[in-house]
Amino acid sequence: MSKRYALYPGCLASTEQYAYELSVREVSSFFNIELVNLDDFSCCGEPIKSINQLLTLYLSARNISIAEKSNLDVYAPCAMCHLALSEAAFILDSDNDLRCRVNKVLSSEGLEYHYKHKSRILHTVDVLYDDIGLEKLKNSVRKPLTGLKVAAHYGCHLIRPSEIGRPDNPENPSKIESIIQVTGAEPVYYPERLDCCGAPLLPTRQESALTKTGEKLQALHEGAVDVLVDVCPWCHKMFDEQQVKAKETVAGGFNIPVLYLTQLVGLALGLKHDRLGLDLNQSPVEKVISKVK
Amino acid sequence: MTVTDLTSMASPQITLKRELDERLLRIKVEALEYCYQCGKCTSGCEAHRLLELEPHRVALLLSRGLFDELINSDIIWTCMSCFKCRERCPQMVAPVELLYALKNIAVAKGKQIPGRYTPMLQSIISTGLIQGEQQVLTRKQQTVKREDLGLPSLQKPRDISRFQSAIMQIATDKI
Repeated sequence: MSKRYALYPGCLASTEQYAYELSVREVSSFFNIELVNLDDFSCCGEPIKSINQLLTLYLSARNISIAEKSNLDVYAPCAMCHLALSEAAFILDSDNDLRCRVNKVLSSEGLEYHYKHKSRILHTVDVLYDDIGLEKLKNSVRKPLTGLKVAAHYGCHLIRPSEIGRPDNPENPSKIESIIQVTGAEPVYYPERLDCCGAPLLPTRQESALTKTGEKLQALHEGAVDVLVDVCPWCHKMFDEQQVKAKETVAGGFNIPVLYLTQLVGLALGLKHDRLGLDLNQSPVEKVISKVK
Repeated sequence: MTVTDLTSMASPQITLKRELDERLLRIKVEALEYCYQCGKCTSGCEAHRLLELEPHRVALLLSRGLFDELINSDIIWTCMSCFKCRERCPQMVAPVELLYALKNIAVAKGKQIPGRYTPMLQSIISTGLIQGEQQVLTRKQQTVKREDLGLPSLQKPRDISRFQSAIMQIATDKI
């Protein structure tokens, strides 16, 4: 039976990080996963959590309610959105008073958050690793990425806080490397694997944000890595789009191709490059593409 | 509706002040009763080496009731929300959550919102998203938008005025 999800692309992927949305759609379609567009979605609220957490909670609850109204599970490819939605569900299911307060306002929009709602909230890692599964992924590879050394960046929001339920282990995640392995590529482990990308500092300390990004890329440069993969538009914005600025900030010597995991998987599946948005990456991805036979 | 409406004190000041004080007391109790200053949070803190954030000190200052010092300090805005402290605290104190609370309280007390949060907030209020659809450059230096890439139109709240009045209700329901 084919699967159907409401695609919740989130602000960043849907307004500028188009390569992620494109590659998510393309890989999903390859595996007969139908992505439904619900045009009432809003921001998840996580980017402004420092300003007003209640507003974050409301915005996330609102988005879950919209998906549930259509009886659909939510596919949130952005790690930050995925965290916001998962945390809202966790909080609202454990706090009756807060749920009533939020629901009072939701009703003015014709919505309701149901206790222990049935809609699951999934991230790219869940969809690839658990829903499609490694076996099926492996059998679908048409262009094995043999010899390609791939480093994974998980991103903080994907794996923590484990208390609310995250797609992988908070201290020693392994699902992305498993996915890399079935594409035929070789996962590279490095000490800075779980370091932050720096993006959360963008609103207040841009230079520090870039320093963080640069330090991680510099560490990869000193190892033997062909490509870095990530699963969050915020992390990707830092490593890919901001790479040149990050290099200047830390006086680094790197020039590292950065792909979304869905782009890497898409390459191994033999999907069309333009449909994977490979033309939109700002880092030197041609170095990777030329290696795919 | 503007950001000022969202963060200004439309409701009576006295109620707001009481609510803020209550919230401060709640997080103070959390820090005071559970944190035993083991420093595990600071040892893993992403913002520690770079920006000298010391989450265990935030918990300590909080437990001593030094609220104004914390709220007026720039240090609370250096947290990178990596959630390592929440993950690793043996007492489940979660300094990252204390910091979120302190930042929220600072804003609710009328302290100026730092950095580039304001344009994001303003955009959420007016369109539902943190920013509008951007033109991006391809590797061949062409500018493209969603339509050029064959992507469906942008998802955003259908009834924006209903959305705005809802978030206004939530924002004035502050704490």
